Amino acid sequence: MKQSLDIQVRQLSHSYAATHALQNINLHIQPGEFVSLVGVSGCGKSTLMRLIAGLQTPTQGNIWLDGQPSEAARAAKQIGWMAQQAALLPWRTVLENVQLAQKINPQKRAVPQANELLNMVGLADFAAAYPLTLSGGMQQRAALARTLATGTAVWLMDEPFAALDELTRELLAGELLTLWQQFQPTVLWITHNLHEAIRLSDRVVVLTPRPGTIAGEIAVPLPRPRDDTSMAFQELLRQARALLRRERVHGD
Amino acid sequence: MAINKLANETVLAPPKTRSRSWERWSGVGLLLSVLLLWETAVRLTHTPAYLFPAPTAVFRYLFSHLADLLLAGGVTLLEAVAGLVLGTAVGLALAVIITFWQQLEQGVMSLAILIKSTPIIAIAPILTIWLGFGPAPKVIVTALLTFFPVLINALTGFRSVDVALLDWLRSLNATPQEIFLQARWPGARPYLFAALRVVGPLALIGAVVAEWMGASSGLGRAMWLAYTNLNMPALFAAVFILTGLSTAVYQTIVWLEKRFLFWE
Repeated sequence: MKQSLDIQVRQLSHSYAATHALQNINLHIQPGEFVSLVGVSGCGKSTLMRLIAGLQTPTQGNIWLDGQPSEAARAAKQIGWMAQQAALLPWRTVLENVQLAQKINPQKRAVPQANELLNMVGLADFAAAYPLTLSGGMQQRAALARTLATGTAVWLMDEPFAALDELTRELLAGELLTLWQQFQPTVLWITHNLHEAIRLSDRVVVLTPRPGTIAGEIAVPLPRPRDDTSMAFQELLRQARALLRRERVHGD
Repeated sequence: MAINKLANETVLAPPKTRSRSWERWSGVGLLLSVLLLWETAVRLTHTPAYLFPAPTAVFRYLFSHLADLLLAGGVTLLEAVAGLVLGTAVGLALAVIITFWQQLEQGVMSLAILIKSTPIIAIAPILTIWLGFGPAPKVIVTALLTFFPVLINALTGFRSVDVALLDWLRSLNATPQEIFLQARWPGARPYLFAALRVVGPLALIGAVVAEWMGASSGLGRAMWLAYTNLNMPALFAAVFILTGLSTAVYQTIVWLEKRFLFWE
């Protein structure tokens, strides 16, 4: 099994009963690339992620993961999924939650033991704790360990740290980068936080408000770890903000 | 490790267990005051025992016939528990079937509502004529009375899985069976226990009502005999036993609930 794979979205449009959510999305994410998808609330970023995960079928267009349709990729258990809610099973301990992921999604490729994964996300001391006794940040750490445990080549992450406080969010984002470099998956990261997008990703894709179309993208050629006070960082942030603002005015 | 230290600081402290003994004793106190008031009122008004017996008269009867009453109570309790288990099993089974084969929902629910809407007091004599004075009709009446709340609550529980959890399981391509075992079944337990709290005491009523229609033993029969003889202390004593059993059943369910919903 490949360490990572590419995501190809071609001429994708999607509508719900009354709303036109996404229109003519074309996106190619390289194997091992970290791409952020930025847009205002309700612009269809979460819909796009659900479509890529194969949880929903697009009304038009195609999505391929490593050359196969997204439903097939899901059937082949190649999707790692993390959302804003940690979505842990409250009746299982942290360790049992991680083990369940490995049970449902047994991997051919070697994945570290559940205990070791908990160590990586700093939860070694909380293996026997039940999720509801943990803070939001710790629950997301457990969810992260669970995503690692599935050993998937693609991580689809829908604002997983959005509900956390600023400090915890930055701390976890830093740790996520380390894990990304270690496991080398292809990452699609959804956020409405431009600063976070530029700090983390190789490329930032900006979506317009409904219907969501791609407004433009910004490559981030800066070496990691990134200094957010540097001129180059600030310039990228300015560009991205301009792109987002322009689209918001158009959208109104 | 810095991360672990941070994690240690952010873990939530377990809630402090406060002594609830005062609240418990206040309940006992209230009960004793009611009994005292009752006793005083009966004595002051010289009400005869065949109309309204004083608590002391009831307890005198209760303790002089304790073995018989406990035996009768035991029979009724067994019937009620057997009916409760049967009704719960049927309700659960129907809820599972509807969860996996949604196209059966209309049919199963129509039938269930039809059975639930038929007055149990009308079914009990029919079952007694068919099945005799033994425990069988009591168990069936109790099951008929208890299956519906279990069915409705279990179904609601199976369907109210957290959407984010469902998304995660589906993203892993979990099978419907895996989703049921890992998420729907454990997630439905609070709903199931809410139903059991309601149908637990109801089960005893079902068994007693069925016994009134003809029984060779049980509290319902004891009550019926006392009723035909206008033996009011005996009637009240049977009611006291029934209330005690009902409370015990309810408390047992609450205890089980605490054990099975440990994560809350």
